[in-house]
Amino acid sequence: MSRLENRRKRRAERHAAAALIMPPEGVPLSLEIAGVGVRLTAQITDILITLGFAIAILVFLGISGLTAPSTLVPLGALLFFIIRIPYYILCEIAWNGQTIGKRLMKIKVISHTGGPLTTHSLVMRNIMKEAEVFLPGTLVLTLQQDTSIASAISFLWVVMAFTIPLTNPYRMRLGDMLAGTHVVHLPEPILLSDLAREGSKPAVAGRPEFTFLSHQLDHYGRFELQTLESFLRAQKQGATPQNHRRNKETLSAIVQRIRKKIGYADAIPKAEHQAFLRAFYNAQRAYLEQRQLFGDRRSDKHFSNTDEPE
Amino acid sequence: MTSSATLIRSARFRHEREADWVRLEMLVNKAERRGAQSLEFSEARDLAALYRQATTSLAIAREISLDKALLAYLEALAARAYLCVYAPQERLGGVFQRFFARSAPQAMRRSAGYIALGFLCMGLGALVGYLLYFESADWFHVFMPSELSDGRGPEASTEYLRGVIYNIDPGISGLGGFATFLFSHNTRIAIFVFGLGVFACLPAVLLTFYNGLIMGVFYALHVERGLGWDLGGWLSIHGVTELSAICIACGGGIQLGTAVLFPGQNSRKEALRLAGKDAVKLAIVAAVMLVVAALLEGFARQLVQDRTSRYIIGWGIGLLWLAWFTLGGRTKI
Repeated sequence: MSRLENRRKRRAERHAAAALIMPPEGVPLSLEIAGVGVRLTAQITDILITLGFAIAILVFLGISGLTAPSTLVPLGALLFFIIRIPYYILCEIAWNGQTIGKRLMKIKVISHTGGPLTTHSLVMRNIMKEAEVFLPGTLVLTLQQDTSIASAISFLWVVMAFTIPLTNPYRMRLGDMLAGTHVVHLPEPILLSDLAREGSKPAVAGRPEFTFLSHQLDHYGRFELQTLESFLRAQKQGATPQNHRRNKETLSAIVQRIRKKIGYADAIPKAEHQAFLRAFYNAQRAYLEQRQLFGDRRSDKHFSNTDEPE
Repeated sequence: MTSSATLIRSARFRHEREADWVRLEMLVNKAERRGAQSLEFSEARDLAALYRQATTSLAIAREISLDKALLAYLEALAARAYLCVYAPQERLGGVFQRFFARSAPQAMRRSAGYIALGFLCMGLGALVGYLLYFESADWFHVFMPSELSDGRGPEASTEYLRGVIYNIDPGISGLGGFATFLFSHNTRIAIFVFGLGVFACLPAVLLTFYNGLIMGVFYALHVERGLGWDLGGWLSIHGVTELSAICIACGGGIQLGTAVLFPGQNSRKEALRLAGKDAVKLAIVAAVMLVVAALLEGFARQLVQDRTSRYIIGWGIGLLWLAWFTLGGRTKI
């Protein structure tokens, strides 16, 4: 049980460490690594697009009678090939590491070392894609009886090309390794309002504001504070009649727990639960942030159990 | 609304900078949607300045703020702006010009040794194939894949062989012929030779050697029938370009393989990355040469039936390649 938990924790840590990249400004940024599934979807979209182009040209050639019907298949293969290679390279140069498929899936190629993407690396990773996936892939698809050994080898090769990304935390394929790139999810910046600025005025006018003493704020750490933050934000958003009752119950349960833990003596009427929690959030955040400025980081409520401060 | 004086420190921090962040977000969105060239001068200037401010804000917020939503926002905003600011600022035309005028020939000269190894592999293969054929004509069937020889074997009559060399095949010509030729045997070989080089050179060397063997037995067959010179012309017109392309691709493959075998002071991954810088240029050069070879094979070989002019065209174009590789991209001192 605990070993399983440990392993999960370690994996999460590895994941977070892999997502960090260091831009020239020296402030590490975290960009989540795109998984194999998302990339495969983007890839399939791109293949469909290029294939569509090739077929359109082919149909045009066929209708205008420029080629004999017997040569349509090799000509089609050639067109697909000729359109495909520049498509990937030019798209990624022009759109800063995104093809149409990648734009749709909101993923992006970035430089592994944190610098700008270079033309060389984009060309490299896309040429290797040919050798890695497309050529052996076509060989497998055009399987013939007399070339079974070649097909088996190319099948193994494709399998290997797909396994390599699973073996490293950056999900780099061979071409990524050679080019020094990896693929990340584009982060979506969403600016939510500041809970601390929304005030904590009591719901009932004339009632004095809640005040907390510093020993009452010594019980919780960052984790609990941020959990409370998530809860308060969720309260603000989802207020449908169905979950209204359940929300009320959760709210009063939380208030009871906090009151018991910090030893807050005064009883709080139901109408003021929300206001109490907001006031507590503000006070707790101000207190913890101040402690943090003095070098006393409290990651969760067990902070006093660890001997040495972080 | 609480006045800013009574706010806690991190909320005040956010209050003071929020307008800048929102403006940065707007600029990033614009640059991403319509390209960095659509920004006006002042906008581009602000983008860079605001990005640096945002990274600073992020660094401070990580220290002083416990607001999870704010941290997530700043993290995402700084990352988005980072990707926007450090985008490759290069025009496509410039990329092409730089490659053909400078970096390709320079890379070719730097990896001359590897390319020579590629030629050596193919040359040795051809020699071995040639000698083996004269030992026993059965070797022809051992090496030559049947779909490639298309009836030309030790059993075929001399007349038939001559006919293939000096005749237009009526079935395939023009555009369709071009396509089939480009997708023929040699292009595949070239791509595999390059890609497989990563596996410690061996597959690249073997494939090139095998390709040489095929050439050798094929040539020997024609020499035996007294058609050596004619076949030379038939092969020269595109073969000089095409076989060189395979050897160059092989050189690129060997370069990658050497990086895996002898990484030196670097890790293998790092060595591969460094070797890839030149190897990929070799691969592109080989690809360009293959396209030219396919054009020659599809059109010129059918149009030019004279042996001497075939030699002249083939080796003349070979000389042009050589001139590009040796003279191109030299900076004046």
